[in-house]
Amino acid sequence: MGKIITVENLIKKYETFQRGSGLKESMMSFFHRVKVPVMAVNDISFTVEEGDIIGILGPNGAGKSTTIKMLTGTLYPSSGSIRVMEYNPTKNRKAYVRQIGAVFGQKSQLIWDIPPVDSFRMNKAIYGIPDKDYTQRLEVMSKLFGVEDFITRPTRVLSLGERMKCEFIMAMLHQPKVVFLDEPTIGLDVIAKQKIREFIKEMNGRGTTFILTTHDLEDVEQLAKNVIIINHGEKVFDDSIDNLRKVLGEKKLVRLVLTKPLKELDIEGADIIEKESELNITVSVDLERITITEFIEKLSKRCDFTDISIKEMPMETIITHIYQSKENYGTA
Amino acid sequence: MKRYFLIYKECIRVAFATAATYRMNFFLNTIIMLLGDILFPLVTVLIYGSGAGFEGWSVYEVLLIQAVFTMSLAIADMTFHGIMWATMLAVREGNFEMSLLMPVDTMFLLMAKNFSIDAIGLFLGGLTIFIIALVHLAVPSVFMWLQFAAMFFIGMMVMMGIALIMAATSFKWVGNSRIPEIFDSIRSFGKYPQSIFPKTVLVISACFIPVAMIGFFPAATLMGRGSYVMFLAIIPCILFMMLGILLYRSMVRLYQGVGG
Repeated sequence: MGKIITVENLIKKYETFQRGSGLKESMMSFFHRVKVPVMAVNDISFTVEEGDIIGILGPNGAGKSTTIKMLTGTLYPSSGSIRVMEYNPTKNRKAYVRQIGAVFGQKSQLIWDIPPVDSFRMNKAIYGIPDKDYTQRLEVMSKLFGVEDFITRPTRVLSLGERMKCEFIMAMLHQPKVVFLDEPTIGLDVIAKQKIREFIKEMNGRGTTFILTTHDLEDVEQLAKNVIIINHGEKVFDDSIDNLRKVLGEKKLVRLVLTKPLKELDIEGADIIEKESELNITVSVDLERITITEFIEKLSKRCDFTDISIKEMPMETIITHIYQSKENYGTA
Repeated sequence: MKRYFLIYKECIRVAFATAATYRMNFFLNTIIMLLGDILFPLVTVLIYGSGAGFEGWSVYEVLLIQAVFTMSLAIADMTFHGIMWATMLAVREGNFEMSLLMPVDTMFLLMAKNFSIDAIGLFLGGLTIFIIALVHLAVPSVFMWLQFAAMFFIGMMVMMGIALIMAATSFKWVGNSRIPEIFDSIRSFGKYPQSIFPKTVLVISACFIPVAMIGFFPAATLMGRGSYVMFLAIIPCILFMMLGILLYRSMVRLYQGVGG
């Protein structure tokens, strides 16, 4: 499989106006406004292989959505180049968007007052999908999502989860090769999230490439093969999810329930990082300095415990570290 | 071309389905629009009834101009005026990319998707006055009808040009909802006999912002009161629409979206 997306030195800057918050400053802004340059995306480069699922992570305002919008051709970059399949998204827009799909979690393609099935028909006309293909695809996707019962009800009476499933069908009816998802699971319950993740996996299995931005780390853990992290408009990590877990080193978390309080651990390569109570502690073990067997051996000589559990370093901890750090982990 | 026709057909179907969903709103809208815009020709009747009027123009001639103006407005409201409000709203709320994601001309899509049948009452009202006025005037020849159809169509181009220019401004000046009101006022010059205006207004309404083509010029052809000026005005009318299209297309590039 070859590269399907190539982004080089992508920059998006725009100007906005600084406005005061008080009455005096609001009045002043009628006559004089200070222009503020905003660097939404600063020199981002990456590639995506065909058939991949790439997760783009970043805190609010990091530049994820701006990047996705530029990739879909709906925003013009200030400079840099984007190549998706054989297209430059900013040129020949109509031919390009025919090959892609997009679901924006906070924006809808569905027509509010009429049933989703009528919106699907609208997309059928827009994309010129033949009758036979349309019926077949709608049937397959309706079954995958289990939406047969409600696609004939007006969109406005559907729940967010039901609407989101319909948004996915809407975006996939024309069988796009690449699909851009901007926070597709935002506000959904666990069951709806899971259904959407299963759908993405199923479609990815059929050859569709997905690029998704999300704040939900479970989306990334369950779906993405590679992760790009953007912070303050800059790429700070671009590698596999396995390497993301190693950012803080090869570490494990050991949760212990002790029989007696422990004053000091005093084991090289292990540190108490959390004390829920005198008897419930969490220890971080650096596997580059000590193995788990050695750690347990040393631990059992120092204290007695009634329960022990060993876990991976939570993704939240790693991501928070990257967001707060100024270091660049872009290793790809 | 066939695909564009099918999209438009689908949009009309959706417009009817939406209107059927809110039947009461549709009926009320139709009645309110009908009353609001038909009131104006009634004022004309009252003015003429009191012995006053526009010099050189009979009440039925003035009514014909106003009926043509009303029908133009109704057709514009139904077919392409929606792009103005839809663009303004989409830019303000940052939803414009949803239209850009579609593999068709964005301008066409927004016009088609905003097809509205709410102005059907307005059109029927205009048509009624049109028929009443015409019955009281000399029967137009086939040539006059052809001229009328051409002028009416060109008047539509002017309306489309105005709508597109106004929509295009919203990419730069977000939230400029009062600008259409200025154009509404300028457009009003089209519903009066042009001979009542001073020469400067005549030149402006025929050549620069050719609103005379919306009501007066088409109606004048039916009454056999056309002049060479209206044929000269065809060029600025076409240029006006082209300006609207070009401006809209170039302003789309300025779209910034809103934060995600």
